Amino acid sequence: MTLTSTLPMIRGVHNSPLEEYFTSGHRTCQGCESALVMKLMVKASGPRTIVLGSTGCMYVANTTYYSTPWVVPWMHTQLGSAGSAAVGTAAGLKALMNKNKIKDEPINIISFCGDGGGADMGLSAISAALTHMAYNHLILMYDNESYANTDIQVSGSSPWGANSTFSPPGKLHRIMNQRWKKNMAPMLAVGHPGVKYIATACASYAVDFMNKIRKGLKYSGPAFIHSYDPCPKGWDYDPMYSHELGMLAVEAGIWVQYEIEEGKLVLNGPSRMIAQGRRQRKPVVEFLKRQGRFAHFVDEDVDYYQSRIDEMWEKWWLPGVIPLFNEAGEPKG
Amino acid sequence: MTTEVKDTALEREELISGAEAIAIACALADVDVITAYPIRPYDTVMQFVSKLIADGELKCEYIVAESEHSQFEIVKHASAVGARVFSGSSGVGWFYAFEALAVTCGLRLPVVAMVGNRALDDPGAFGCEHNDALAVRDLGWMLRWVDTAQEAMDAAFMAWRVAEDKRVFLPCAISTDGAFLTHSQQIVMIPDKRLVDEFLPPYDRGEFVLHPDNPITIAPQVNEDWLMEIRRQTDAAMRRARDVITEAHNDLKRIFNRGGDDPFIEEYMTDDADVVLVGMGTLALPLKVTVRRLREQGRKVGFVRIKWFRPFPQPELRAVLSRFKAVGIIDRDYSLGSPDNGGVLYNEVRSALYDGDKRVPIVGYIAGLGGREVTVPMTTEMFDYTQKVADTGIIEEPLRWIGVRD
Amino acid sequence: MAVTAVEVVYRGIFQKSLSRNICRTIVLAARKEGKIGTAFGRYGDSPERNGIPAKYFAIVADDPTELEETLAAYEPKEVAVTIVVDDTLCKGVESWAWYGLQPINELTVEGGTVLVTSIQPEEDLVKDMHVKDVPYNLSIIKGAKSFSGLWVYKDDHTDVRILGALAKVCPNLVGLEAYVDTIAEQSDDELKAHSARRAYDRVSVSPVEPGQGNPEEPFSFDKPGWTKMGEAIVIPGIEVGGGFRGGEGGYQPVRNDVFKKFSTRTMRPVINFETCTKCTLCWLQCPDSCFDVTPEGLYDSDMESCCGCGVCEDVCPVPDCVTMVNEEVFDDNSSQHDHWKRDRDGYMKWLDEMIVVAKSEKEVGAGRSHGFREWGEYQKQIEMTGVAGDD
Repeated sequence: MTLTSTLPMIRGVHNSPLEEYFTSGHRTCQGCESALVMKLMVKASGPRTIVLGSTGCMYVANTTYYSTPWVVPWMHTQLGSAGSAAVGTAAGLKALMNKNKIKDEPINIISFCGDGGGADMGLSAISAALTHMAYNHLILMYDNESYANTDIQVSGSSPWGANSTFSPPGKLHRIMNQRWKKNMAPMLAVGHPGVKYIATACASYAVDFMNKIRKGLKYSGPAFIHSYDPCPKGWDYDPMYSHELGMLAVEAGIWVQYEIEEGKLVLNGPSRMIAQGRRQRKPVVEFLKRQGRFAHFVDEDVDYYQSRIDEMWEKWWLPGVIPLFNEAGEPKG
Repeated sequence: MTTEVKDTALEREELISGAEAIAIACALADVDVITAYPIRPYDTVMQFVSKLIADGELKCEYIVAESEHSQFEIVKHASAVGARVFSGSSGVGWFYAFEALAVTCGLRLPVVAMVGNRALDDPGAFGCEHNDALAVRDLGWMLRWVDTAQEAMDAAFMAWRVAEDKRVFLPCAISTDGAFLTHSQQIVMIPDKRLVDEFLPPYDRGEFVLHPDNPITIAPQVNEDWLMEIRRQTDAAMRRARDVITEAHNDLKRIFNRGGDDPFIEEYMTDDADVVLVGMGTLALPLKVTVRRLREQGRKVGFVRIKWFRPFPQPELRAVLSRFKAVGIIDRDYSLGSPDNGGVLYNEVRSALYDGDKRVPIVGYIAGLGGREVTVPMTTEMFDYTQKVADTGIIEEPLRWIGVRD
Repeated sequence: MAVTAVEVVYRGIFQKSLSRNICRTIVLAARKEGKIGTAFGRYGDSPERNGIPAKYFAIVADDPTELEETLAAYEPKEVAVTIVVDDTLCKGVESWAWYGLQPINELTVEGGTVLVTSIQPEEDLVKDMHVKDVPYNLSIIKGAKSFSGLWVYKDDHTDVRILGALAKVCPNLVGLEAYVDTIAEQSDDELKAHSARRAYDRVSVSPVEPGQGNPEEPFSFDKPGWTKMGEAIVIPGIEVGGGFRGGEGGYQPVRNDVFKKFSTRTMRPVINFETCTKCTLCWLQCPDSCFDVTPEGLYDSDMESCCGCGVCEDVCPVPDCVTMVNEEVFDDNSSQHDHWKRDRDGYMKWLDEMIVVAKSEKEVGAGRSHGFREWGEYQKQIEMTGVAGDD
C-alpha cells in the first residue's frame, strides 16, 4: 500500500461532507466532545477508512455489543495498542497488496486512543509506530485529560491540580495532582524527525479539525494528531458548553493549535494571533472557574496556573510549543 | 530424465535447528506479516527469518516491534485484515504479551506463534520450562509441543492449516524446548513449495475480514448480556479443532509421508507395557533411550508423548493409559499449591482419567526445570518408582521432584 | 413485609451523589430501628455517562438472613417504591443497547409507590408512565429536579425531602424519626431535618388504576443465543444512509436501531426553520449525529437519537432559532420539520409557546441545570431561591 488518499481541503463549513460514518446510537455522555471528534474524524476521511479504537471512552461508551455506531470498518484494540494496531493493519494490507492478494488501493487507517492510552500506556508503541515509515496511517489521541471511561482518574495528560477520583482534594492536600500535562505533539515531533505530519487540534474548530485529519492521511508514512477534548463529565460543566470550553482553552493560551508539516511549524487560528501579539490571551481563570474539577482552587492556585501558561508563551524557545532554553536560561533562538 | 527428477525433487535435506526449521516453514507458507522482539531462546527463529528476508527467500512485512506486547498486537491486527502471520516469544516476554495473547482468542484470529520454552524470571534464567506457554492454556490458544526440528517444521504447517480453518479460527502456539530444540541442529527434510501448497490452502478470513469493502465492527464493548454466549462460541471452536487437527494430520501423512499414527499423542514401546511415563517436548529423547535400556533388562516399560496440549487429548489418553498398571507424568513445569502440589500436566491427565472405566494409579514427577537436563538416570528413577506403585498398588508419594539437590 | 427494596432511578453523573445519599441514608436510618440493609448502585450502569438513566438500590430487612434471601438476586426484581429524581424519566428508561425502553414503574409492586420530584401536575406524569395491570400509587414531591456534577454537589435538600416523603409513603421501610435522627448526625444544618419533616407532611399520594397511563407498548428486543449470533465478535456496520426521508436531496444517516438514546434527554431542541440561516453548526457540532439535512438545507433533529445535550443551542448564532425546552412538555418523538412543512402557521404558534415555556422556566429557576457552570454557582442559587421546594 504505497498510495495515500488525496482528499481536498474543506473550504468552510458549507463544504463539509454530508455523510456520517460514525452515526447515532453510541452511549457517550451528553455533549461528549470526543464523540464529536469521532464523527468529524471519519466525516473527513470518508468511506475508504479503517478505524482502530483502543480501550477508553470512545471504545466503551461508543460501541455497545451487539450494535455499533460505526459505518466504516472498525476494530477494537487494547489500551496501549493504538500504535501497534495502526502498524499491524497497515502491514497486513501492504503485504496482501504487494502480493496481489487484494487490490492495491489507498485505504485510510486511523488508530485512536485517549490520553491514558496515548500519553501513558501506549506511548512506546506510538513512538515505535512513528518510526515505521513504510506504513501509512494516522494516530489520533483524543485527550479528555483523564481516564474518563473508568470514572475520571488522573492521567499523564491531566492538568495540574484537577480533581479526579485518584487525585481528590482533601483536608490535608488541596492539590493532589502535582504533575504538569505532558507535551505530546512536540515530544513526538522532536523525537521522530521522519514523520511528515504532526498536529494539535480541537473539534470546536470543526473545519480546521477535519482538514488536519485529511492532511494527516495525505502524507506517506505515519502521522499523529493530538486532539483536545472538553469532557463534560470529568471536567464537570454543563454539556452544552463543550464547544465553548474548547475555544476558551485556546483563547486563554492553555491549549495551542498548530501543525508541523514536513518539519515546518505553523500555529493556527487564535493561537497564531496570540503568538503574533495580535490577540490578548484571556485570563486562565475564565477557563478554570467554569469547571467543577477546579472548584477547590484558591487564588494562589489560579496564580500558579496562570504563571505556567505565561511562561509557556513568554519564555519557551517556541512559544506554546517547545520548552527549551539556552545556557543563560533565556528562550533559545 | 534424471535431471528433470532432480529439478522437481519434492524435498531436500538440511542440517538445521528447530528454530531454523520454523523460519523456513514461514517462507514455504508465504507468511505475510512477521513481528520480532529479542528474547532468548525463541529469537533465533527471527534471526533466521530476517536472513531469509534479506536473501529474498521470504517476502513479508517484517516488523521489529518495541515490545512483545506490540509484537502480538501487530500480528493480531494484520491477521484481522486477512494476512497470514507469525510471531513468537519466550518466558517473561510471552507474559509481557499476555494481554494481546488473551484478546486474540476471543477475536478468533489465527495467529501462529513459536514459544521457545523458557523459565520465568526472577531470577533471570534462559533454560527450558513449560510454564510460559502453559499460562495461556485456559484462553483459547491451541498448544502444540514438538520433539524434533522436523516435527517443528511440520507442526508449523499444521498450525496455520488448523488455525486458519474457518471452523476453528483460533491462535496456535508451537512450543519448542529452549536450547534443546531451538539451538541444536538436526537433519530435516524440507518439502518443496508445491507440497506445502497442496497441504496448506490460502488464509481466507471471509465474512470477518476488516476492509472497507466489508464494513464490519469488531469487538464492541459488551455487557453481561452477551459475553457468556461469546465464550460459548469460542469453546465450540476449540471443540471443533479436534476434527480439523485429525483431518490435517491425515493430509500431512498423505502429502509429506510423516507425522506418526495418531495426531494427538505418540506411543513408544507401549504395546505390552506395564508401566509408562508421559511427557511433552524434547524429554522424549532421554526417555526413549531409557525405555530401550530397561527393555533390554526385560522390563515392560514404555513412553507416551503428548503432542497437543490444547485441545487436550482426553479420549486418546483415557483409552491408552488405562491399559497400564501404573503411569508416571513428567512435568517440566510447576503449579504451586495445586492438587498434590503437582505439575500442570499431572493434574490435567489425572482429571482426564477421572471418569474412565479403569482408573490407573498415577504419580507425578517434576523435573528439568530451568533448563536442567532430564537424564537417563533421572528417567530410570521415575520408572523405578512408578514400577513400585504398579507392583504394590500403594502411592506413598504422589508427587516427586527429580534431580533437585536437598 | 420483612424485606423491603426501593430503587432510585436517576440521571447518570448529574444525580449520582444524590441517589447514593438517599440510599445510604435509608440503610443507616434502618439501623436505628434495629433493621439491617444494603445500598448499591447497579454495576451494569457503570461507568456512568452524563444523563444516561441509572439505578441505585436500598434493601432493608428485619434480620441478616432475610437480607441474604433477597440478595441472592443481585438486582431486585420488585421494589416497594420507585423513587424518580427526574420526572422526565417517567417516560421510560433505556440504559443500554438491547434493553429496550423499560417502563419507569416496571419494578414497582402492586400497591407500591412511584415517588417523583416534579413541578408537573399529577395527570401529566400519569400520562407519561406506561400502563400497569395492577394498581399502584403516584406520589409527588413538589420541586424542580436537582442536578449537579461529578465533583461539586448541590446540597439543596432534595435528598432529605425524598427521605421525608418516603417515610410517609413507605412507613414499614423506615419511619420519619429514624430518618430525622440520621440526617441530624450527617449534617450540622438543622434545616435539613426540617425539610424532611415538611416533605413528610406535604407529599401527595394518589392511586393509579390498572390501565391508566401511556398505553403504548414500549419497544423491546429479543437477544439471540450463541448459535444465532455472528462469530468472532463481528457485527455488521451501519449503512451509510442517503437522501432525506429516503428521497432525493438532503441527507439522513442510518441510525443504531437497538440503542436510541432519547430516554437520556431531559430537554429537547425546538427549531425555528424560518430564522435558520443554514449555518450548519447545529448539525456539524452535534456529537450524536442527530440532525437530518433536509433537501432545502435545513436541519431537523431526530428525536429518537437526540439526547438533549444542548450543544446545538449553544452554537447557534441566531437568537431563539434553537431553543432547549423541558422534555416534560412533549408527548412523542415526531419530526418538527414534518410539522412545519405540514402546517407552518400552526408550527410557528407552537414554537412560540415552547419558547415561552423555556423562558418562564428559566425565570422560576427551574430551567436548565445540567451540572456545574461556575465556581460558587450552587451556593448562589440556594441563597437566591432557597432550598428546593422551600415554599
